[in-house]
Formats: sequence, structure tokens, C-alpha cells
Amino acid sequence: MSVVDAAIRPPLITGGKTYADVTADICRPLENKPSRLWWIGFSISFFCLMILAASLFWTVWTGIGVWNINKSVMWGWDITNFVFWVGIGHAGTLISAILLLFRQKWRMSINRSAEAMTIFAVMCAAIFPMFHMGRIWVGAYWVFPLPNAFGSLWVNFNSPLLWDVFAISTYFSVSLVFWYLGMIPDIATIRDRATTKARKFWYNFFSMGWTGSVRTWARYEVVSLILAGISTPLVLSVHTIVSMDFATSIVPGWHTTIFPPYFVAGAIFSGFGMVLTLLLVARKVLNYENYITIGHLEAMAKVIMLTGTMVGLAYITEFFIAWYSGYEYEQFAFQNRAFGPYWWAYWTMMGCNLLAPQVFWFKWARTTPWFLFMLSIVVNVGMWFERFVIIVTSLHRDYLTSSWVMYEGSFIEVSIFIGTFGLFFTCFFLFCRFLPVINMAEVKGILKNRE
Amino acid sequence: MFCFSTSINKRNLIYGVFDSEVNLMSAVEEVREKGMEVFDCYTPFPVHHLDTAMGISRTRLSIAAFLCGLTGFCLGLLLQFYMMVFDWPMNIGGKPSDYHMLPSMVPVVFECTILCTAFGLAFLFFFRNKLGHGVRPDILDLRQTDDHLLIAFDADTLDLNAKNELVVILNKNKVLSTHEYVGQYAVNHGGVHA
Repeated sequence: MSVVDAAIRPPLITGGKTYADVTADICRPLENKPSRLWWIGFSISFFCLMILAASLFWTVWTGIGVWNINKSVMWGWDITNFVFWVGIGHAGTLISAILLLFRQKWRMSINRSAEAMTIFAVMCAAIFPMFHMGRIWVGAYWVFPLPNAFGSLWVNFNSPLLWDVFAISTYFSVSLVFWYLGMIPDIATIRDRATTKARKFWYNFFSMGWTGSVRTWARYEVVSLILAGISTPLVLSVHTIVSMDFATSIVPGWHTTIFPPYFVAGAIFSGFGMVLTLLLVARKVLNYENYITIGHLEAMAKVIMLTGTMVGLAYITEFFIAWYSGYEYEQFAFQNRAFGPYWWAYWTMMGCNLLAPQVFWFKWARTTPWFLFMLSIVVNVGMWFERFVIIVTSLHRDYLTSSWVMYEGSFIEVSIFIGTFGLFFTCFFLFCRFLPVINMAEVKGILKNRE
Repeated sequence: MFCFSTSINKRNLIYGVFDSEVNLMSAVEEVREKGMEVFDCYTPFPVHHLDTAMGISRTRLSIAAFLCGLTGFCLGLLLQFYMMVFDWPMNIGGKPSDYHMLPSMVPVVFECTILCTAFGLAFLFFFRNKLGHGVRPDILDLRQTDDHLLIAFDADTLDLNAKNELVVILNKNKVLSTHEYVGQYAVNHGGVHA
């Protein structure tokens, strides 16, 4: 064997599991009746999903006047939530693609659920810019390169908003392909264990006739590596392009070259926050403590600390550059952020994103599940506020003093945001019910510490 | 070596069941040393270097991926040049609508490249392995996707001597059990093919 692991390195999977144990443990939640906890969680999520449906219907029926956005603050909760969800999605690709390229084997127990999270988060994100267009039924002509009815007036390829359309839709579809391809061997495992007619039919359908032949595996590994290789620049490009929506404008506070790396670091930070939130619950509820071990949690806490410090550095750099530029509008925008009427949002952001993750210097904080759960929520809150601060505080006091306004989300805007959590968690609960949350094939490959 | 995933239909196979990839690997290596061909192995997880041990050459899917990417790159450029330069050059804020706008074409060209690579590669992967929705899986042992690792030989290519030798090698490497399989429409030679 050419794979050599150091003998002193602790095992990635604990509990002395055999191959059969892995299959049995991971298939158990899908093969038994859902637990009471699952039903409670699913019902709450589904209720929130219905809130989303109702508030989106109301938005389309009445018009986006039901949102509080206005002439000055033309991007409010909608784009805040869009960037928030897109950012969350990034952790999935980071874990499955970048950690694959770096040969980080601890990724194998968490990559499946993180990729699922990516897909559901991007679905939530896409809702916001789509409905922000108002007349969503003609939206296709505005975002896709389709000729309009009066002749071939095409979309504007000079606009970063259009780049975003391409980036997000590519990101969603490529992530979906990567996720599904990685799942085929596991679906085949479930197929061969299925007892009922319906299960046999559906898992057979989606397993595409997988047998585990060596030739297939050899190609599968090459394909996974290439997909990881192209997903890595893809994920970096997506949030870079999202940041260009802001950075290419001339709004003080947005017009900064630091945005792309700063947004990418923030995306990884918020994504890992959400991965932690979900997995801390999932490992407990589904009894996966031997697969998602304290070692996994600790590794994720370290990534959170690193990226949290990176965004913190970006916040401070932005502030410094605003002063150093000598450009008074830029200086005002940053003073207004920290000490203006939205000071509470700014300092929430600073506290949650820069200060809070510093507790991860202590091993106790990185290895205590309940504490990690609290911190992951803090990170999620902090990253929402980061986007709110960037968008709203830059817009609400712009060049023209007569246009200064205050902005707060309307009831409908808030319900759409809550509703997207419903969509996200409904999808996640269904995923836990019907598909293997942990990549069985890959985990079997790392069971034994080979010498 | 140009070989699609090999179907077990219409074949007489002898297969051994293992529970450890180390034993499977050494069995494959010993069998190959004797000059016998392994028909295929079936494993529930990827066993690294098993393909090279079996003498399977590296897949050319990576070349195909490059070609898909190149196609996407060209399509992305073509799309934007046609729309923005030839068909309807737009003047928005005095920004250029000719080759000067190449820098702002980069993101969309990049995304098209990635999109075509990923989808092209995925479809070629399915095609190459004869995978598809509704394809009947060729399963020899229901636990080959769970915890059993299988090594299969084409019985028609082995004479009695070779078969005996094979059984010795498999037993030496702690095979759990050996079976014969007669595929649909395959002729049963009674286990011996002269």
C-alpha cells in the first residue's frame, strides 16, 4: 500500500467500526421510521416554508412595494439575505473540493452533508434577486441571454449583475452534479439492502446500475479529482463575482478592491458556521458521534477561527484605507458605519465575527459541542449583520443629504427571510430521511489506519 | 486498452469473496504473476492501485475533460462576441462594445468553461461506464456494495490446471468463499473448458 498514515495519528473514525457497521449505522435513519424529533423538526421547517410561499405570493401579487426598500436603500434585506445564503453555500464546496485537493481525509465524514447544504443554500439565495426584479414572469429576459420581443436586444455582459447570474447558476448546477456523482455508490448500497418494492425501484433508478467494478471506480476517482479541481476556482469565482456587484459601483463603502478576498473568506467563515450548526445537531440525533468526531469539530473550529480573523483583518484594513485615502465621502461612510445610527449593527458584526471566534485559541472551546453550537449561531448572526452593514449603512446616507433615510425590513421582508430557513431545513430534513448523510464508500476507505 | 465496463451477462464466471482489501490486493497480484487475467473486481469502496495491479490503463477522461472545457471556453467567447459586438452593440455609460470589452468577458467565459467541463465530463463518465437511470445492475453478491470485495474470473479462459491454481491462490489469501456464476444465456461447460 502506498498510503501511509502515521501510527501516532488518532483514527478519523472511532468506535472500532467494520465495513458492515458503517453501512448499518448510516443506513439506519433511512431504513427505519422517522423519529419523533425528525417529525417535529420537519413540521416546523415545513410551516416556515409555507410562510415563504405566502409572503412571496403576496410580494408578487401586490408588487415589491410591500418591501421597505426605497430610492436610497434600494438593496435591503433581500440582497443581504442573498449574499448571506450564497456565502453559507461555499463551505460545502470548500470541504469537498479544496480539502480533497489538499488530501485532508477528515473531510470524508462531513462532505456529503456540506454539499447538500451548498445546494439548498444556493436555492434559498436565488429567490432574493429573482423576486427583487418585481415582475418575475418576465425575469427570464432580463437575466438570461434571450432576445426580447422587439428584436434582439441582449443582456449586458459588461454588468457584474449578469456575471452573477452565470456564476450562481453554474455553481448550483456543477455542485449538483458533483453531489449526485459522489452519491451514486451509496445509493447502490441502499438499493442492495432495500426490502420494499418502492425503495427497490427508486434506489435502483438513481443508482444507475452501479456495481462497484474496479474500472468504474478508477474512472470515478479521476472524475472526482477533476470536478474538485474545477470546483475550487469556481467557488472562489462565485463570491468574487458577488463582491463585484458592490466593488464595481461608485458607492462609498462598496468601491473597494479588498472585496473579493474579503468576501471569499467571509463566505467560508459563515459556511463553516452553518456546517457546525447542522452537524452538531445531526451527529447527536442520528447517532453519528463515531463518524463526526470531536476531531472533526475541532478542525472546523480552527477553520472558523482562521477565516474569522481574516474577515476581522479586512474590516480593520477597510477602516484604515478609508482614512488613508483622504477621500472624505469614504471616510464619512466608515465613520457612519461605526458611530452612525446603525452602530449597533456594526459592533454586532465586529463582536460576532472578529472577537467571538478568538475563543477557539482554547482547546476547551474547540472540543465542547454545546459551546461550539452556541458559537456557530453567533457566527451565523454575525455574518448576516456583516452583509446588512455593508449594504444598508453604505446606502442610507449617500452623497445627497436630502436623500438620507433610515431603513428597516418590513414584515414581508422578514417573513421571506424566515421562510428561506424553512426551505433550507425542509430540504435538509428530507435529505436526512432519504439519502445517506455520510459518504459510506469514502468512510470505508479510511476505516483502517494502514501501515 | 479500450474496454467499456464489462457486462457479466452471457459469461461463465468464477468469483471469490473477500472481506479485506489487503487480501484482495495480494490475491490479484499473485494471480497476475501467474499470467492469468482478472475479469473484474467489485468493491464497496475505491481500493487504491487495484486498477494498476489488474493491468487496467489510466482512463482518458481527463483529456476529454480538457476538450469539454475548451468547447465551453469557445462557446462563452462566441456568445458574448455575437451578442455584444456583432448583433446589437450596446452603449451603456460609454463602455466599449468591441474587443476592448474582453476583460469584462472573462467571468462569463470562465463560468461557461467550468459548466461545459463538469457536464461534459459527467455525461462521458456515465456513457463510458454504461451507467444510466434504469440500467439493471450486474450484481454477483448483494453485499458487494456493503462489506464484500469480489474478484471475478472468466471461467471460459481458464483450463482445469489454471482453475486449481486459482483456488489455491484464493485460499492462501483468506478468501471467504468461491462461487461459480453462469450468466443468462451462457453455456455451462460444467466448470471445465479445454
